[in-house]
Amino acid sequence: MISIKNVSKIYSNGARALSNINLEISKSEFVFLVGPSGAGKSTLMKLLYREEEATRGQVFIDTINLSRLNAKQVPLLRRRTGVIFQDFKLLSTKTVFENIAFAQQVIGKSKQEIKENTLYILDIVGLSRKKDSFPSELSGGEQQRVCIARALVNQPQILLADEPTGNLDIENAWGIMALLEGINQKGTTVVMATHAMHIVNKMKKRVVKVEEGCIVDDNLGEAY
Amino acid sequence: MALNTVGFVIRQAFVSLKRNIWLTIASVLTVMTALVLLGFSVFFLANTSNLATVFESQVEIAVFINDNQNREQVIDLRNQIQVIEGVDTVELTTKEDAIVQFQQSMGTSSLLEDLGDINPFPDKLTVMATDVSLVEGIANQIADMNGIDKVRYGQGFLENLIQLTQWLRWLGIAVVGAFAFASFLLISLNIKSNVNSRESEIRIMRLVGASNAFIKWPFFIEGMLLGFIGGVLAIGIVGAAYVWFLQYMISAVAFLPIVADQMFIISVLGLMLIGGMTMGALASVFSVRRFLK
Repeated sequence: MISIKNVSKIYSNGARALSNINLEISKSEFVFLVGPSGAGKSTLMKLLYREEEATRGQVFIDTINLSRLNAKQVPLLRRRTGVIFQDFKLLSTKTVFENIAFAQQVIGKSKQEIKENTLYILDIVGLSRKKDSFPSELSGGEQQRVCIARALVNQPQILLADEPTGNLDIENAWGIMALLEGINQKGTTVVMATHAMHIVNKMKKRVVKVEEGCIVDDNLGEAY
Repeated sequence: MALNTVGFVIRQAFVSLKRNIWLTIASVLTVMTALVLLGFSVFFLANTSNLATVFESQVEIAVFINDNQNREQVIDLRNQIQVIEGVDTVELTTKEDAIVQFQQSMGTSSLLEDLGDINPFPDKLTVMATDVSLVEGIANQIADMNGIDKVRYGQGFLENLIQLTQWLRWLGIAVVGAFAFASFLLISLNIKSNVNSRESEIRIMRLVGASNAFIKWPFFIEGMLLGFIGGVLAIGIVGAAYVWFLQYMISAVAFLPIVADQMFIISVLGLMLIGGMTMGALASVFSVRRFLK
């Protein structure tokens, strides 16, 4: 599903974020990316939704070589990849319903379809009653659930979560993890970058450890 | 773009204007102020230019014919002058017409008798040039002709007049140019800062897979709407102020020629609206483009 081959990333200021990374992630896998701040986890995630391009090496999603995508093809990639961020990245002038609807409007779904899908996904994340609220009126946990709903509404094959529990208390964090686990069980590949060791240790999933831009460990289901 | 997408994009623009109400108000007021200044400057140019044209159109060459020329010779002279390059019209005022006009202006009918039937007026040709700058050359050519007594065209005054009218025109153009530039700058800077303040919104749109066109269109429409609303307000202010100015000038300084052509006034106001909408839309799209690379 995801194939990262000999990838290095050096930013324009000369900072080396990743060095010769190789990683294979299968369909329906749940993978944690762990490591200290500045290790390169977020850069690795950004390569997967083409926010950044690899300086060397190649990144594939299925058979698509992300380095070969032109500017017009990038939105098409993002429509089949759901992304969740630590800081939620919700449109502040849109309601919960509109935020989720927007992700469908960009792919030209009909009004009726958008309404049905949005209400359905809001029900799954438990926010049906908050559909007309603006992000500023929600708690951190609720905002993250909106973000997950937006990422999932177009049924992506891959869900990328960059520190999704980073701004949440323990209770809300587990709520989000339960959602991600459910999504993964339905067949969506989940890649989650995190610092939350208590979550990683309890979930017993594959753990890829990144340090100073290199993968230093890759364990399946072991405590970290 | 699918029809439901077009509908969404247009709705999106209206909703965004409403939800960013303070930015909308600031932009509308900026567009309005800029267009009001521009509108006033255009009317200033139109009036200075019109004043210059009126002044110039009043410059005429008075050609006095020698008394020894008979009527046929006078008509021949008129025909010769008519074909000089740059001559627009030549009008003959015979000595008989001249004394009648003089009598009428003096309110008497016995002047000729009082003068012992001697008419002191010469035959006169009034020559108008197609362009004020040709007057001196034409006058010199006429003065060299046989049978001409005197040629008068306001020597000395003419040079000053040409300088004044040219200065008036340049002043008008400079004022319009300066205000057009200031308006463009004001509108584009304002819309730019409006768009810049929504940078994160644009970045999020990209992250969820919106194409560049999908992001740009609502901003284009928003910019156009801001220009439209600001333009309508500016038209109201400039239109009302100019009508008041016209009425005041007609009643107070009737001799001053003021541009009152309705079609011209409507055209200027219409162009202000189109200009505002174009500037708003373009500034908006150019500002968004920065975030779409």
